[in-house]
Order: sequence, then C-alpha cells, then structure tokens
Amino acid sequence: MMLMEYQGKDLLRSVGIRVPDGLVVESPEDLPRVLSNARLSYPAAVKAQIEGGGRGKAGGVLRAENEAQAAAAAEQLFKSQFSDVSPRAVLIEPWLSVKQELYVAVAVDGAAGGYVMLFSAVGGIDIEEAGHLLVRYPVGAPWRFRAHEFRAVLETVDIDFRTREKVIMLAHRLLSTAASRDCTTIEINPLARVDEGDLVALDAKVVCDEWAAFRNRTIFELRQKTKESVPPLLRACLQMQHMYVRLDGDIGLISGGAGMTMAAMDLIEQLGGRPACFLDCSPGPHSARSYRPAFALLDGDPEVRAILVSIYGGGTQMQRIARAMQQVVPERTSTKPVVYYLNGTNVDQVPAIFAEFGAKNHESLEEAVTEVIALAREA
Amino acid sequence: MSILLDSSNRVLVQGVTGQMGRFFVADARRYGTMVVAGVSPGRGGSTVEDIPVFNSVMTARRETGADTAIVFVPPDAVLGAALEAIEAECRLVVATADQLPVREAIEIRAAAQAKGVRFVGPNSPGMISPGKAKLGFMPSFCYAPGPVGVISRSGSLSYESCERLTRAAFGQSTVIGIGGDPVKGTTAGEALELFHADPETEAVLYLGEIGGTEEDIVTYASRPDAKPVAALIVGRTAPPGKKMGHAAALIGSKAEGYAAKVEVLQRAGVFVASGVTDIVRQVESALTKVRNLI
Repeated sequence: MMLMEYQGKDLLRSVGIRVPDGLVVESPEDLPRVLSNARLSYPAAVKAQIEGGGRGKAGGVLRAENEAQAAAAAEQLFKSQFSDVSPRAVLIEPWLSVKQELYVAVAVDGAAGGYVMLFSAVGGIDIEEAGHLLVRYPVGAPWRFRAHEFRAVLETVDIDFRTREKVIMLAHRLLSTAASRDCTTIEINPLARVDEGDLVALDAKVVCDEWAAFRNRTIFELRQKTKESVPPLLRACLQMQHMYVRLDGDIGLISGGAGMTMAAMDLIEQLGGRPACFLDCSPGPHSARSYRPAFALLDGDPEVRAILVSIYGGGTQMQRIARAMQQVVPERTSTKPVVYYLNGTNVDQVPAIFAEFGAKNHESLEEAVTEVIALAREA
Repeated sequence: MSILLDSSNRVLVQGVTGQMGRFFVADARRYGTMVVAGVSPGRGGSTVEDIPVFNSVMTARRETGADTAIVFVPPDAVLGAALEAIEAECRLVVATADQLPVREAIEIRAAAQAKGVRFVGPNSPGMISPGKAKLGFMPSFCYAPGPVGVISRSGSLSYESCERLTRAAFGQSTVIGIGGDPVKGTTAGEALELFHADPETEAVLYLGEIGGTEEDIVTYASRPDAKPVAALIVGRTAPPGKKMGHAAALIGSKAEGYAAKVEVLQRAGVFVASGVTDIVRQVESALTKVRNLI
C-alpha cells in the first residue's frame, strides 16, 4: 500500500531527511485556512496527493506565483481526476531553486534477497523509460550495507564527491528506515541539490508492507482507512481479508489461491469470455462467513452476469467448502447462475453434498469455464 | 533421486499442536513421510498422533534424530520458529505461512545462508517428492513419481498443473513451492541448480506469474548444458499496478508483464504454455527434446 507524497515526506522528515516545508490541504473547504498560514512562500508548488505515480505528466503539479494562483491551482486539482481517482488532498510547498536533480531509492528485491539501492545522477526521470541510467547496489539483509561498497558503485557515476558522500549517508538512512518501518520501497525522485549543497527530497514514494499491519500502527490505520473508503459490499470482503481487483468483464470469479485465480481469469479470456474480477477468498476458506460477502459483492455488481467458483485446495478441504456453499448459495436472492470447479483435498466428498442443494461440480477447469461463459451469454 | 526431500528426511513439525500441524502429521505420514517429532513450547512430553512433542527444536533433534523442519505457527511467531530450526542446523526448513512481513523473510533467508541451511518458503504449500515424502499440505493424489522437476510460485496452480501431468503419465521428481513473496528462501534459480544436478530430473516445469522478472529462468535456459525448461506464466489478463493476491504478483513495469516475460522465455528456448490447458503439451515437447538428444 502506497503512502501519499505528504505522508511519505512526513516519514522522511521524522528521520532527519530534509523535505520542503509544505502544508497539506485536506479538502477545498480547508483551503482558506491553509492559505492564510504565514509559513507559505511563493513561488510555490501545488501538488495533487494521490496513491500512485505518473502525476507529473498528468498535470498534477502546478506552479503558483502568489496566493491567488495557489488557490486557483488547488481548486482545479481537487476537481481533476488522476488515473480515475480524485486527489485526497493537495500539498502546497515552496518551489525551491535547484542546482541538480538526482534519483535515489531503496526497494525490496528478490534477486538481491532483500533490499537493493538504486541511484541515478539524473533525477526526475521516468524509471520505466530511463532504467539504463540507474546503478544498482544489491544489499540483501539491511545490516549488510557497507558504505564503501555503495561508494564503489557510485564511483562509476559522474557525480561530485561531496554530493556522493551525502547520497551514501542518506541512502543508508533510507535503508534503516525501510527496515524498521516496514517499507518495501522508498523512492526519492527527484532528490534535489540546492544552493547550500544540501540534499532535499522533492518527492517521496513510499510503499508499505501491509502484512506488517499487526505490529505497525501506521500501516494498520492505513489499511483500516482503505477499507473504510470503499463501498460497503466490497468493505465486507476486505474485512474477511479477501483480495479483490476489478476487471472489465462480466464473469464474476470466486477463487482460492492467487495462481489459480489468475489461471482461471486467463482461461476465461482464452475461451472467449471476459473475467469481471480477481477475487481470492483463500483467507478463512472454510466458512460460510467468508463466501457470503463475496457472493453479495458479485450479485450486487450489475456488470456480473454469471459466477464461477474455482478453488483447488491442499490445506483447504473441499467438503468444508461444499458445506459453506450449501449454506450461502441457496439463501441468495440473486438469480445469477453459479458454476463450480472444486478440486483438491477430499474432493470425492463434494458430489454428495452438492446433490443436497442441486449443485453440480465440474470435472475440469475448462469444462466449468466453458459452461460459465455460455451462461453469461444467455443472461 | 529427487531434490532436498526423499524418504531419508526425518521430519519435525513446529506448531504441531495447532490445526494445520495436526492435519499435516496425519496426512504426511499416510504418504510415507518419516515424521519423527513435534515441537510446541510448553507442550513437551505430550504426543500428537503418537508422535512425541518437545519444547524445543534442539531437544527434538537430539532425542529423535530429526533433521528437517516444517513450520506451522502463527505469522508473528514464524520468524522465531524458523530461526530456531536454522540455528539448530536442520538441513531443510520449510515455512508455509502466508501474509508474512517481507522483513521476516529477509532475516530468515540471511540466517539460513549464514548457516548453510536450505530454507523453502514463505507463502508456499511446501514440497513433495512423489512416492517418497511430502513436506507440505498439497493434495497427494495430484502427484506420481517421474522425470519432471516442478518449481512453482503458487500452491493452487501447482496442484492443478501436477494433476494434469500425472493424468498424462508425466510424473515428477520433486515439486517445490518457492512461494509467492518477493524474497524467497529458495529462488527459482537456486531450485533450477538443484534440479540440474539431479540425475532423475530430465526436464523442468516452471509455474510463474506476472510481477518480477524471469532472469533466473532465462539465465539457466540459455546455458548450453541446460535441461529443457517448460513454463507457464499466469496473469495475462491482470491489469498493471495491482497486486494480484501474492505480494510479488504486481506488474510494476512493462518487463514484469505477461507479454515481455513470454518473449524473453521463448527467446531463451523455454517451452512456454499458452495457458493451464497447454502445460502437458509443452512438458511433452521438453521431454522429447531430451530424449532426442540422447
């Protein structure tokens, strides 16, 4: 889960990394109060706060020469959409005079077996397009960081040695912060060198590890907020720890295990249908409580015409899933057809349970997918 | 042969008194796995399915000769339990737990490397060497002994795929669930090295998904002495920038998407399946390639 820029900058500030002295506007109504604050100075950067990148290109950062322009810019941003979402807030901060823009990031990396450090002497870049400008220092476990190793990597880059030494100290601090605060990415792009030679984080992209919520209050509260910000039917699913991604098709998918969910999505498309979602219900897989909100979500979605339940379980036992289906499916008021492919541990007990409420378990994924596509077309 | 796991492993179960621990003991013994001890701090002296329970891994190792550990404890206890098994120098430690903070995985991986212990997981169903032993909770009927080594980032997808292989009479040497998290105890590249050295394994099937890159597979498959590799990448219909259940299944850049992965794999000579229904055909091609060379 990604922090918004101002939250990321709060984190950086809390570990002594310099960030512009900005103010957050939480809503259009909040604007007069913030603009009257004497701390603001001009020119200022007025920045839309969204979770996700690509904001600069999409016009989410505006320059204001005075208070009137800042007010107009903030109002405009609040009315705009970036990747289909409205800004949750607007950040107003001084527009600094910059000598040089750099790029620095620390991120979890499978190949490094832990963290990797990334640096570029060209900041403000789109990493997707300018990845070749990056140098990498694979650190692994955070305590394996060595300044001299990172220095050797940075010596391949054209950069003043005073700046380089500051980058090394800053990157080390980012690494300690990532490890102690459960961040999987902290990216500063651009990192600016200003007049006095100091390094200032002009942007901050911080991604937190949501599985650390049980021991990290900040992440816990963020997750709660995310759950509360969605419509009630989806909220009920997220509260069961289900994982949901909306797609643009009409075949609802209730599934178990990320790999099989994606395999089913892909097969639906391959056989001429369109999946409506990724909905992985594997946390708490045995209880009716788990599937009730999943059916409610898909039944309540006007785009969904038919539902495929596809679960291949190992530790998950199929007779218990069949019993859960027996409780949940007949109590639905929706008439959307449901097609089943259950397989795995104790699947031999499923047909007898299904017979009790007139359901049929398909023998193969392709058979079930073919059936659900046909039913979606008829509906 | 097989990799890491065969009928000689003496298995101890951490968290043996929990629901998953008990389920595993009964199921794994039915399969023929030599489960010799349970560990559950505070429950030492009791038994589960007539297997003795100890308070610590070290005691269990000393008393029963256990040399392999599987960890079934709650997420906030996984780090402690895995480190205990590693420091007690079990030769193989499997942790199946999902939703484990990545910092824990990093620490366990580093500790295992320092001790020369093989760690598999997290977020994995474990592993199985068909006909010999299982060290995880996969459904036994999906597997049969044979020449295909299987590496999977997803549990459920490995069951579905292996059942298809088994029905088509392509048995497996070992099926290893490397897990769906970004930092793994055993990476795809490390598993490939193990299969490369295993004389029973003739070809490898890699079950991957979108997110991350497939450098490991490409590097191996490009070697002149590589065993043939077949692969399936799921998530062709996954949108970019969204986490698809697994922490590592997220398309962060074009290179991590379906099309780019398939392209680099095919260029390296990997037999890439077009979907789950095409796996058997690609594995057959891989095995045919080996047999034509001999």
